[in-house]
Amino acid sequence: MAAATATSSVTRESPLSRFLGIAYVGLVYGFFYIPIIVIVLFAFSGRDIPALPLENFTTRWFHEALADEELMSSLWTSTWIAFVTAILATAIGMPAAMVLAWRPFRGKAFVFGLILSPIIIPQMVIGISLLLLFRYSPQLIGAIGIVIAHITLTLCFSVMIFYSRFLGFRMSLVEAAMDLGASEARTFFEVILPLATPAILAVMLLTFTESFGEFIVAWFVAGFDETLPIAIWTSLRFGLSPRINAIATLIMVISITLSALAQFWILRQTRAPSQAG
Amino acid sequence: MLANQQTGSSLKGRRTLAIAGLAPIILWQIVFFVCPMALLAVYSFWRLVDYKIDYTPTLYNYRDLFSNPLLFNALLLSLQVAVAVTIVCAILAYPIAYFIAKKAGRWRILLLILVIVPFWTSFILRAYAWKLLLGERGFINSGLSLLGMIDQPIQYLLYSPVATSIGLIYAFLPFYILPLYTSIDKVQDSWLAAAQDLGATPVRAFFEVTFPLCIPGLVVGAVFTFIFAVGDYVIPQLLGGGKSLLIAQAIVLEFETSQNWPGGAALSMVLLAIILAILIATLRWIRMEDVV
Repeated sequence: MAAATATSSVTRESPLSRFLGIAYVGLVYGFFYIPIIVIVLFAFSGRDIPALPLENFTTRWFHEALADEELMSSLWTSTWIAFVTAILATAIGMPAAMVLAWRPFRGKAFVFGLILSPIIIPQMVIGISLLLLFRYSPQLIGAIGIVIAHITLTLCFSVMIFYSRFLGFRMSLVEAAMDLGASEARTFFEVILPLATPAILAVMLLTFTESFGEFIVAWFVAGFDETLPIAIWTSLRFGLSPRINAIATLIMVISITLSALAQFWILRQTRAPSQAG
Repeated sequence: MLANQQTGSSLKGRRTLAIAGLAPIILWQIVFFVCPMALLAVYSFWRLVDYKIDYTPTLYNYRDLFSNPLLFNALLLSLQVAVAVTIVCAILAYPIAYFIAKKAGRWRILLLILVIVPFWTSFILRAYAWKLLLGERGFINSGLSLLGMIDQPIQYLLYSPVATSIGLIYAFLPFYILPLYTSIDKVQDSWLAAAQDLGATPVRAFFEVTFPLCIPGLVVGAVFTFIFAVGDYVIPQLLGGGKSLLIAQAIVLEFETSQNWPGGAALSMVLLAIILAILIATLRWIRMEDVV
């Protein structure tokens, strides 16, 4: 009781300061979302340039964007590159995180440093350095090079998410399986993999999104291949077109829906076992 | 007993498994991260002479950085912009993080998710959005002229260091809010209650309890915001225009336009050196804080 009253005396505040607080938060969130809203608004405006006033509600730009072969082929390139990146970043990152979380060994700090340091390097510098490397094997320049670059950029996220998941893992379950005679492989597929599914999904989603939207590194190593961000960048040189707004709106709706669904699903998955136990 | 018999062989097996688990990522990082970085360092000591690379080691590119006003000014402007962006982000982020952690109640999770959602859209689209907002015929200018508040579009909105700064603040503010939120969230309400029970005013309790405890969050957020802001290319290129270059634009100019790869590599190395210096200083400082 005493604690409760003490707490309320701290959190009590005047309506004015409460109002100012909420107004400030509203302003900053407006700052976060106005640019996104503006993209969407102009996607439906009938004018040739994205400017006010909004006129003649139209879906013409969506039709034009979907009929634009260059835009669509770059969309396809981005999609498969992001998909391959997500799978490989998961496949390489997950076993590494298991070892890092579960096994003590010398030089762990060094391995962590090796895995995490790309975070602090400006992405542009990573792109340039990879381009210098690919000069010695030019056949890698292009879509393959982008996949390599994106895996390099996303491995650190993959390892960190898996690592924090595996640190909190109930090792007793793994030990129980092994004690009952399951092989390492069987333990992995029947115990570890199901329990790690939310983390796998989270990693794949994050690495997919990161790769799908990444521009600068891809731009350096792309050669003649075009991802969607590169196509958008190129078309920005020729002025602003509402077609970009249309394709941007489509992508945002899809990615925000997917991410929200996955987030929701992950939350449910992580809650379920604790409720059962 | 069974376990004991197995130990020998399974320990060996697990050791092999551990090596197999780590080997791919270590190999990958060495081939596609360490090697390229080393290559970049090597390039920076070569020199472009008559469109060909002269492989005699030289410090020419580094000296050029300090004697060429274009490059040196780009470096200075980048540092100024990054410092300004970091400070503004800190000032904007603190009340938000504080509100989410202490005042939001049941809205907390929603507000946190709403900070992250813009990240689900491509960086280049978020930069493009600001071009739509700030452009000569953009949202703000056409809106103001519709309202009759201006006759001529405000020119300096776009293509200025101010536009670049706005774009960078927009892009990296969430990176500042999240670590700050974590550190403010750790401050227990009961500690504040204790301070107030001992006679401190709420303001004094804030400055002597809450604020000192979230300095690590402030520093971590500042370091990341600065690092991201100082090395960004897309936002200065789209919003800042070509008049006053930032270091990232200068690097791309060297690589793409001048084909001066050693020069671009040297600029990149200087950028990396600045970032490393800041990181090392911060890590030292954090350790000092731990000791004290």
